Amino acid sequence: MFLSKIAGPLRCAVKESTYIVGLEVVPNAREVLIGLYSKTLSELKATIPETAGYHQSVKDFTEHRLNICQAETKVPDIEAKIGHGQAEELIRSAENELELMKKMAVWKPWVVPEGHSIIYMTEEDYTADKALPDTATGRLLT
Amino acid sequence: MSIQNFILSSVPAWIQKYTISKNELTIYVYPEYIVPFLYFLRDHTRVEHKLLMDLTATDFTNQEKRFEVVYNLLSVRYSTRIRVKTCIDQVTPIESCIDVYKSANWFEREVCDMFGIFFTNHPDLRRILTDYGFNGYPLRKDFPLTGFFEVRYDDTKKRVISEPLELTQEFRYFSFQSPWELINKTETPGLS
Repeated sequence: MFLSKIAGPLRCAVKESTYIVGLEVVPNAREVLIGLYSKTLSELKATIPETAGYHQSVKDFTEHRLNICQAETKVPDIEAKIGHGQAEELIRSAENELELMKKMAVWKPWVVPEGHSIIYMTEEDYTADKALPDTATGRLLT
Repeated sequence: MSIQNFILSSVPAWIQKYTISKNELTIYVYPEYIVPFLYFLRDHTRVEHKLLMDLTATDFTNQEKRFEVVYNLLSVRYSTRIRVKTCIDQVTPIESCIDVYKSANWFEREVCDMFGIFFTNHPDLRRILTDYGFNGYPLRKDFPLTGFFEVRYDDTKKRVISEPLELTQEFRYFSFQSPWELINKTETPGLS
């Protein structure tokens, strides 16, 4: 009786499960998230040039999420404001982003070689490209 | 920013062309960058395409790079799909994407078996659909419909034997025009 009175509120503070296979509950999710986002931002500054589109994208959402984590103290509030699933899922995607950033720093996909341009194909171009040749006459059937 | 503009601005050096056909985004990537691009689509928080639904290829004999390897990806988080394609010719191998998506293992074996496209770094590139000792690649457009061998039961030998085709099929000229006389479509009100 006495124990359940103390343990009750404590048990409520940390949820039982994430109900996602392989995703363990993290009791101090807010602190972990703040640590991960700060690390992401500092590594981003060190490794990815600011002119890259990738830099801008990562900076935008990481700063946004970091601000929410610092403003709110309760994990459910953070989850509701970010609107991206549970805190454990946020932790996992932040870790993935950190891993990806290390690889991107090596690959440098924002360095465009000279003369490179991206072609936009309209729907007509796309279907004409797929047209089968008529083997008897050699002309394209559209 | 729309998803295609975001991808184009993030990784411009990898992308050859793109299209939006029937509300589906298709991105053509240079074959040497296919694995980095799949890593980007899987791990970046704004896309998160965590699932490889299908990996296949198509054969266009009228093009110099005749094969298109197609990757269909699904993002459960954003409920979006994306199609990534890369064009290669029949002698160039392409890097396997098993490190990115585990499900690619059997898909790549199937593509290798059916089209003869070789995947480098694949742990187990055995045949998966065809029989032992099978010759040729059945889904290539220049593969005859009848194949090269026929299998039949020989009543005197009491066993199944496999032998070269007796009735080989000549190269066919495909005519896509219907032999039936087509009735001209008349416009019916209310039907389009």
